[in-house]
Amino acid sequence: MKTMVTEMKKQILFLLIPAFLFVSCGKDFTSLSPKSQRNVASFYKSESDFRTAVNGAYDALQLNGTYGKNFVLMLEMRADNTENGGGASGLAASLEAIDKFNIVTTAEEIEQTWSDSYKGINRCNRIIDNIDNADFDQNKRDQYKGEALFIRSLLYYDMAVIFGNIPLKTDVTSTPNDKVNQVSADQIYSQIVGDLQTAIGLLPATYSGDNIGRATSWAAKSLLGKVQLTMGSKTDAATTLQDVVNNGPYSLLSDYANLWGPSNENNAESVFEVQFKAGGIGEGSAYTDMFTPLGTVGGVGGGNAPQQVTTDIHNSFENGDERFSVSINDTAATSTGWWVPKYASTPFGPLDAGNNWYVMRYADVLLMLAEAVGEPNGYQYINQVRDRAGLGPVSAAEPGTYAEKLLHERRVEFAFEGQRWPDLLRFGMAKQIMAAQLGTSQDQVHLLYPIPQREIDVAPDQMQQNSEFQ
Amino acid sequence: MNRKATNRMAITGYLCLVTSIFIMGMTATVDAQYYSSNAIQVSKDSYYLVEKYSDHISELSKVISVVAKKKPIRNILEEIAHKANLGIAYNAELGFLDNKININQRKATVGSILQKVLGNTGYRAAISRTREIIFVKRPPLPKASNEVMQKELTGQVVNAENGNSLPGVNVVVKGTTNGTSTNANGRFSLTVADDAQTLVFSFVGFEKQEVPIGNRTEFNIQLQPAVESLENVVVVGYGTQQNKDVTGSISSVGSDKLENVPVTSFEGALQGRIAGVNISETTGEPGATPQIKVRGTGSISAGNSPLFVIDGLPITKNTDLQGNLFRRRAAFTPPKANPLATLNPNDIQSIDVLKDASAAAIYGSRGSNGVILITTKKGAHQGQPQIRFSSYAGVQNAMNIPDMMDSEELIAYTKDSRNNYYLQEYNPTDPASPNYNQNYSPDNNAGRPADDFALIPNKYVNWDGTNTDWLDLVFSPASLSNYNLSVSGGSQDITYYLSGGYYNQNGIVEGSGFDRYTLKANLVADLSDRFQIGANINGAFTKHDRLPTSAPYFARPPGIVYSAMVHSPVIKPNNSDGTPNQLNGQSYLGGGTTSASNPLAIMQAVSDNIDNNRLFGNLFAQFDITPEIYFKTFVGGDLNSYQREFYRGNTLLYRTATEPEPYAQQSSAEGLNWVWENTLNYSTNFGEDHQFKALIGYTAQKETDKQNSVIAQNFPDDQVKTVNGGVIVGGSGQETQWSLVSMLARINYNFKSRYLLTATIRSDRSSRFGSDNQTGIFPSVSLGWRIANEPFMQSADFLSQLKLRASYGLTGNFLIPNYGSISLLGESNYVLNNQEVSGLGPSTLGNSELSWETTRQLDVGLDFSFLNDRIYGSTDFYYSRTKDLLLEVTIPSALGFQSALTNIGEVENKGFEFSVTSRNTVGTFQWSTDLNFSTNRNEVLALGPKGDAILSAGAAGIRHITRVGDAIGSYYGYVVDGIYQSQQEINNSPTDTQAPDPRPGDFKFKDVNGDGQITPDDRTVTGSYFPDFTYGMTNRFYYKNFDLSVFIQGVQGRQILNLTDRHMKNGEANFNSYAIENDRWISPSQPGNGEIPRADRNSALHGNNNRPSSYQVEDGSYVRIKNVTLGFNLPTKWLDGAAQKVRIYVQGTNLFMFTPYRGFNPEVNLQAGSSLTPGEDYGAYPLSRTITAGIDITF
Repeated sequence: MKTMVTEMKKQILFLLIPAFLFVSCGKDFTSLSPKSQRNVASFYKSESDFRTAVNGAYDALQLNGTYGKNFVLMLEMRADNTENGGGASGLAASLEAIDKFNIVTTAEEIEQTWSDSYKGINRCNRIIDNIDNADFDQNKRDQYKGEALFIRSLLYYDMAVIFGNIPLKTDVTSTPNDKVNQVSADQIYSQIVGDLQTAIGLLPATYSGDNIGRATSWAAKSLLGKVQLTMGSKTDAATTLQDVVNNGPYSLLSDYANLWGPSNENNAESVFEVQFKAGGIGEGSAYTDMFTPLGTVGGVGGGNAPQQVTTDIHNSFENGDERFSVSINDTAATSTGWWVPKYASTPFGPLDAGNNWYVMRYADVLLMLAEAVGEPNGYQYINQVRDRAGLGPVSAAEPGTYAEKLLHERRVEFAFEGQRWPDLLRFGMAKQIMAAQLGTSQDQVHLLYPIPQREIDVAPDQMQQNSEFQ
Repeated sequence: MNRKATNRMAITGYLCLVTSIFIMGMTATVDAQYYSSNAIQVSKDSYYLVEKYSDHISELSKVISVVAKKKPIRNILEEIAHKANLGIAYNAELGFLDNKININQRKATVGSILQKVLGNTGYRAAISRTREIIFVKRPPLPKASNEVMQKELTGQVVNAENGNSLPGVNVVVKGTTNGTSTNANGRFSLTVADDAQTLVFSFVGFEKQEVPIGNRTEFNIQLQPAVESLENVVVVGYGTQQNKDVTGSISSVGSDKLENVPVTSFEGALQGRIAGVNISETTGEPGATPQIKVRGTGSISAGNSPLFVIDGLPITKNTDLQGNLFRRRAAFTPPKANPLATLNPNDIQSIDVLKDASAAAIYGSRGSNGVILITTKKGAHQGQPQIRFSSYAGVQNAMNIPDMMDSEELIAYTKDSRNNYYLQEYNPTDPASPNYNQNYSPDNNAGRPADDFALIPNKYVNWDGTNTDWLDLVFSPASLSNYNLSVSGGSQDITYYLSGGYYNQNGIVEGSGFDRYTLKANLVADLSDRFQIGANINGAFTKHDRLPTSAPYFARPPGIVYSAMVHSPVIKPNNSDGTPNQLNGQSYLGGGTTSASNPLAIMQAVSDNIDNNRLFGNLFAQFDITPEIYFKTFVGGDLNSYQREFYRGNTLLYRTATEPEPYAQQSSAEGLNWVWENTLNYSTNFGEDHQFKALIGYTAQKETDKQNSVIAQNFPDDQVKTVNGGVIVGGSGQETQWSLVSMLARINYNFKSRYLLTATIRSDRSSRFGSDNQTGIFPSVSLGWRIANEPFMQSADFLSQLKLRASYGLTGNFLIPNYGSISLLGESNYVLNNQEVSGLGPSTLGNSELSWETTRQLDVGLDFSFLNDRIYGSTDFYYSRTKDLLLEVTIPSALGFQSALTNIGEVENKGFEFSVTSRNTVGTFQWSTDLNFSTNRNEVLALGPKGDAILSAGAAGIRHITRVGDAIGSYYGYVVDGIYQSQQEINNSPTDTQAPDPRPGDFKFKDVNGDGQITPDDRTVTGSYFPDFTYGMTNRFYYKNFDLSVFIQGVQGRQILNLTDRHMKNGEANFNSYAIENDRWISPSQPGNGEIPRADRNSALHGNNNRPSSYQVEDGSYVRIKNVTLGFNLPTKWLDGAAQKVRIYVQGTNLFMFTPYRGFNPEVNLQAGSSLTPGEDYGAYPLSRTITAGIDITF
């Protein structure tokens, strides 16, 4: 009996061991925060936090919905420089719809453009909202805030050009129930003007080394000029752009051909570029795919259809224009074989080219200044651009209006650079030119894109469709 | 005088309940009187015979456990006396007291143990008036019986089901103790009295049989296996219960339905077997995870997977650990490898599914998707070692292959589509037209403009006669085999089950396959009469060879099956040197056609191997504190490791690419999940009428998952396929965790065996819930009424059982993201100065109030059994309502996010389940039928702050809607309302704002809102993946040594969103297409079948026929002969003792399928993980028809 008792005591003691090891009853056991992902609550504090966040804001310019793909389609292909030629499969039919003004409110492209742009705007809002509470070097804080304001302004500008009436959101999103505030494009432009003026005061004039590619105060000033032109404030634009021309660090490259290809990037003419890098790291661009037709430099992937060169732009280059062969390869017999060498890249990897995208370059500043100051003072700036292209000067003596000559110059200078559609809009020529090009009535040419159906479906009492699509 | 010492001891126990430990003390004092003389001297009145009075003396009906090995009877009796609180008195010289015996009596009454111990000692136990155990000599047996024994009876007993001889069957003359048992060959011989009337044959697991003796001396007896009726034990959470006492809705499946079925996991074998459990084989890829849903879909965006509990260890069916390919779009990710394929189905003893809230509430925040309890095999006490070998092998073939066009059909179709475009856009036949073409011919390109859509591909104008059947090239017959060896048995104190298994399945798309090695050990040992420990260890080594099959032709890497489907038959598959034809523009026919990669090249160049090694199991210790109370501590662990190697070789050219894009990704992951449970069980009776059981427990669980991945490209050749063979360009590493701390309690109360009550409660605190909302409480109650046991029902002889059940309870769903409550930042890198720089941006909008989803479920059920269990079954009605749905609410994109996670919305599931088993004929020819049927209706009751519908983009734009009043993830689009037959009909119909220029032959879409035009507002629900009902029926036949079973299973009223129709039924003829396009509208006089619009190369500019609509929604109902098995048990005499049992069989799985669905698999669900976008088919791995032959030997 005694052994039995002893045995039991032993068993009991044995069982007690784990009971005392049980240390996990406390609250801490179930308070787990992410180990491999940073979270917002503990971020936006140090200098490196903000540097990383600003990089993330720039990244929004690479997205498919922004300069990665859709801005290029929507601002270039819709106009008369390119068209969606053969090769569009059923899936790419929506691209043709963009080209031919048949786009429907449910098209995936417009929704992606919308959501990716506001994703970038939200990244900027986070930075702008938090940076004043951060505690590190004032110059760095100024720079980061200025960069965020610049990126936000750039996205708002493109969105306003594309969709017109869009929500203005400048604060951080705190709950899913936050309201959206749809305003007119003019209100967006006013916001941008204020933001860019602030940014100009915060941003450095130049960068060196590892910072090359960031937005400078001169880039902000150039963008400000563009927005002022878009608003019709030519006087303000003239002042702004004149300052860039007189005091800015930019100059035209001597050879137009040297503007292109991954090895010529961030040059003296570059005002702002969206940066890309090949190599399968997810930082490559899709421009080679978009502008080189099937089988030329390597092919087209991902269901994208190529943007094909129209005979219209092909024929609009003057004889002797050095820009022609840089912009168009017309060695093929028919126009369907023509393509755009500006964005060629070798070696070619599908959707993974190193080519950057020019958002603005100095030639644009010059021609915008020409637009702002008007006739006759503007000819000197047009002629600077023509001179570099190996063409003689123009003056009031040549036939055509000043606006026609300027628009023509912009067309051939910035062929396939996503400037054409905003130019047509700004010059008030969109309906006339596009109706003629497509052989349709002007009523069929829409000046805005439809607001994505999803955005209206989600907030029907806060969002209204553009009148052209109602 | 040898007075037994008074003994006094404290029984000390402990329980850990929220860290509190308390000690219970108990004292027993026993004084015993010693009688020097033989107890027989005691007068008759002065004692009570145990066998007579055991029900009247409470000490005798007390439940105790006595386990001993080779112990003197004296000591055993002392122990019994002690445990029974009785004294003991005996004559020390009684000879039998020193006999050493083995005894193993658990939870038996004192009376029965005493009778057992004394057995054939010649003495009987009795209780004296002073409450001592004494011993009285058994009166001698009537002498006459020896003298009248005259007859010798002989015979054999076999299993009626399979003809196997049954050893160890008790054979007794009714009303006497005269009996014997059968030998190893099932034979017996017994001498009986001349006047013996009846022989009784009985054996555990079989029905008792009484046979009149008459003049017979030879008896060949067939015993019927006991049916799985209400007497069986079912596993419930944290314990077991007799089926007759169950008040919740629980369905069980035994090992017979799981063994030797050619499936990679038990889920495949369960399909169609259980009412209310809907299992879909969404792909035929070997080792892929099936979809399993219990009673519908309760959740919109949290997980819908039930909780799996293997031998008490709740495991996570975590498919995230396998990782994804960086470069593959999430929507095109093939179905995940099945983590549960690491469990060998042949090791499973039973599966119990807890369906209603009452049964599942003991699992609290993890119960609302149902709980699947898996019990693996164990050894038996004192059983002979049983060695069992089973194996099967067979061949699989692709089934249900869609009907595609051949070259001639495709050429005609392509011409039709180009001509229609040309005629409409250019009007070339009108001399007044600026594009007038006087040479117009529908069969060549004479005079046509340089418009790719108007030109007929040259290969079609000048067809060289090639007619390749691409689908035939990608599928080939594939082998499958399985081997299992197990040993089980046990001794007095220990039981064991050891097994090893190997399963190998090659895929019908060459290069895919699945391999599994499993090892298992299950040991239980009694350390003493009160202390039991056990270990249950499972090891599995699995290898999944996967191929990109369930993806469209344009995915990266491209889908093999889809590439084969869209490939034009005019293309030759191989070059003259035997390599796949990829260059020379062969697979691309020029403008207006779509290119696809050669599927043969994809098969050769892409490999994706996942090794999943898993070690899981548990250790437990159980201690009987008192006979009524036991404490159990249980530690379980699950170590799950994955190695994945993806390689895309240099030989594959993507569509029209001229350069390969070789790359490799190597990933590894490890998940560690541990649980520690402490439970205290109490069980007692108050008098005759009240039975009471209680359970309380405390558990903690934590899972940590770690993953990392490296990606490389620029492989110069295909010699080294690991990442070091190329240039490493990226990588990632990740660690996530969750934890859960819970308290639980359950009470079972049973009054007069007629009225049953079960109540449970559990509280869960989880790391997944927001900091402001961390603990959830989940109670449930259920009642049962065993009507058949009521006195007033005693006359209803036909009724064996009738039990009415009702339950109500709360359960939760904690399958929400680990860090959903926290606003996270996501990687968003950029390039500066041509260097990649790291960037971050907000990726989710957090919510500190995030919590579990709560389901309230009401269940009313009836269990019945008629005609001596000839017919038995159950039926249930349930209604469940889930609120606080975790919802990725669509928000305006202008907020910076397209969606945000919130607890909002409600969904209901209601349904009816019925299952019945009927033994139609018995005897030599036996026929039994199992039938189950279930319906579930899913309806969203509330959503979002304003009830806004959720529009969801699947693999191809917005095609799903989740809105109030409809099922979750219903298909969404325009409704086809016929085909315009004339221009006049177009003019008279509502204007279609989405069709720029419709012509006769184009679709007429429905003006759903009746506003006189077709706009996006006319999109509506066009179908749903939820079936109206599902059913399964098994018929089993036995005749002599043969058995045949036929299992039919089906789903009715399910629709599939066939996205492949976008390409292969779109009228554009830019691909090879479904042969149904031959029935298209061609002209008013050739209107086709009335369902297919005209061909038109650019419908987007005309009728826009290819918009999301009911056209792409197809009927996914099916009936299939899921399994037919014909078996033969070798007669015992053939075996000659070499083995106990040998069965050989042939089996056909997925023999036939009857379905109107046009694709491969009517169960397809491309994004099985997403409730919002169910039922999409965008390229599928076909199911296979499998024929196997097997053998099962028990030694």
